[in-house]
Amino acid sequence: MTPSSRTSPLSRLAQPLPDLLAFAALAALVVWGVLAGARNLGYHWQWYAVPATLLTWGADGPAAGPLLQGLLLTLALAGTALPLTFCLGLAACLAALSDSFAARAVSRLYLEAVRNTPLLIQIFLLWFVAAPLLGMGRFTAGVLALALFEGAYAAEILRGAVLSLPRGQWEAAHALGLSRAQTYARVVLPQALRRALPPLTGQAVSLVKDSALLSAISLFELTLRAQALVSDTFLTFEIWFTTAGLYLAVNLALSAAARTLERRVRLRG
Amino acid sequence: MAFQADRCDPARAEAKVLGGVIVEARGLRKTFAGGIEALRGVSLAVRQGEVVVVVGPSGSGKSTLLRCLCGLETPDAGEVVTDGARLPGSRRDRDRIRTETGMVFQHFNLFPHLTALANVTLAPRLARGLPADRAEAEARALLGRVGLKDKTGAYPAELSGGQQQRVAIARALAMRPKVMLFDEATSALDPEMIGEVLEVMRGLAAEGMTMVVVTHEMGFAREAGDRVLFMDQGRIEEEAGAAEFFLSPRGERARRFLSRML
Repeated sequence: MTPSSRTSPLSRLAQPLPDLLAFAALAALVVWGVLAGARNLGYHWQWYAVPATLLTWGADGPAAGPLLQGLLLTLALAGTALPLTFCLGLAACLAALSDSFAARAVSRLYLEAVRNTPLLIQIFLLWFVAAPLLGMGRFTAGVLALALFEGAYAAEILRGAVLSLPRGQWEAAHALGLSRAQTYARVVLPQALRRALPPLTGQAVSLVKDSALLSAISLFELTLRAQALVSDTFLTFEIWFTTAGLYLAVNLALSAAARTLERRVRLRG
Repeated sequence: MAFQADRCDPARAEAKVLGGVIVEARGLRKTFAGGIEALRGVSLAVRQGEVVVVVGPSGSGKSTLLRCLCGLETPDAGEVVTDGARLPGSRRDRDRIRTETGMVFQHFNLFPHLTALANVTLAPRLARGLPADRAEAEARALLGRVGLKDKTGAYPAELSGGQQQRVAIARALAMRPKVMLFDEATSALDPEMIGEVLEVMRGLAAEGMTMVVVTHEMGFAREAGDRVLFMDQGRIEEEAGAAEFFLSPRGERARRFLSRML
């Protein structure tokens, strides 16, 4: 047995050790900080009251508690707004890149107006001004406000992705006699969407979080439910932490789904 | 003239029979933003079955000429007439020029998200309206012809440069073009891959394909070219039969260019 064959498995095991120690130390520091902070707060923690805000057991089986009801509405709002966001973003992106001056002007106006004003005011505008005119319900107005807002960002992400493709792709398609629409559909967008997927995922996560602002027009989604619970029960920290945990869970699931999609459409080679 | 006899290719002893003019350019001018005059009055006529080789220093306007001929650029003055379709002209004419002219680019420009087969079938299906099964059969035949029968399912990133360029040639041929343009088709290739692409191009020429070839491969120009155009500073400086041009270039610039290239 040579010395090297005796020591090498051990040293291989020991190799990530400093890294793991550093991680453990950091984690311990954070946990200690949180615990110390909680102690100093002199707060009376009542975590036992939290499960009832999610699920209640009535006479006829389990029923969704207020937080879970809020989560369901948040999911419905975000789930409806997300495909709409994508369509709006794509339309605005294509308009911004079109040859038509009118299309470019409308697209630019939309992008600048939406991206440079607060979402809260856009929500108010849609609910108090546009909704009565168009006969929209609260839910529709909320979804529309969200989709219009996030769609502007999605448009710029998509535009960047389209412009990042080499010019040769357009030239090859045109030289083969493909029309502009065919080039977009079969050559440019399939490549641009792949490139845009990571930043679009970020935008989808933002959408879920921004849906909290719809509480301002009395849509009883997760954040408004939490607010109501806090003022009823005074379980301030327990409720808000639980709420944050629910947003976290939704967005982690969303990101994981996006990563799976990314892997599946990745180009070979 | 033993020297000259030596250089004559026996296969070309009997003169090639050429058809009527299929591509014509008259007085092409093109100035790009920034005031660069790429073309300053270029005229040329290509007859059916002819192989015209365009040589000249970089920046002489060769690529711009090809890009006008295939309808990617619109000349500022002058016109291109390909098989009756005019540029500048109607959108229909432009689209006809684009479909009837095959273009092979220096950097291949394959579609990276499509397999070799899908790269070749895309345009026939969309622009020629061919049903999928027929487009696929034609594409397989074309890929076989460029020696890539077993690479139909490969993506561009899985192919070597030479293989990619051969797929690009098959892709252009799939539109059944009346003329094929090659814009420095071997310039981006590693030396050991130039041969396989030139081989395909020689084969096309031998089959009677009408070709306009911009190249720095003087060997190919001499063997496969019927006629050589020497371009410099946006003009055609010299025009001669291939053998004649390489033996005795008339102008000083062409002589200097050749002495650098050979």
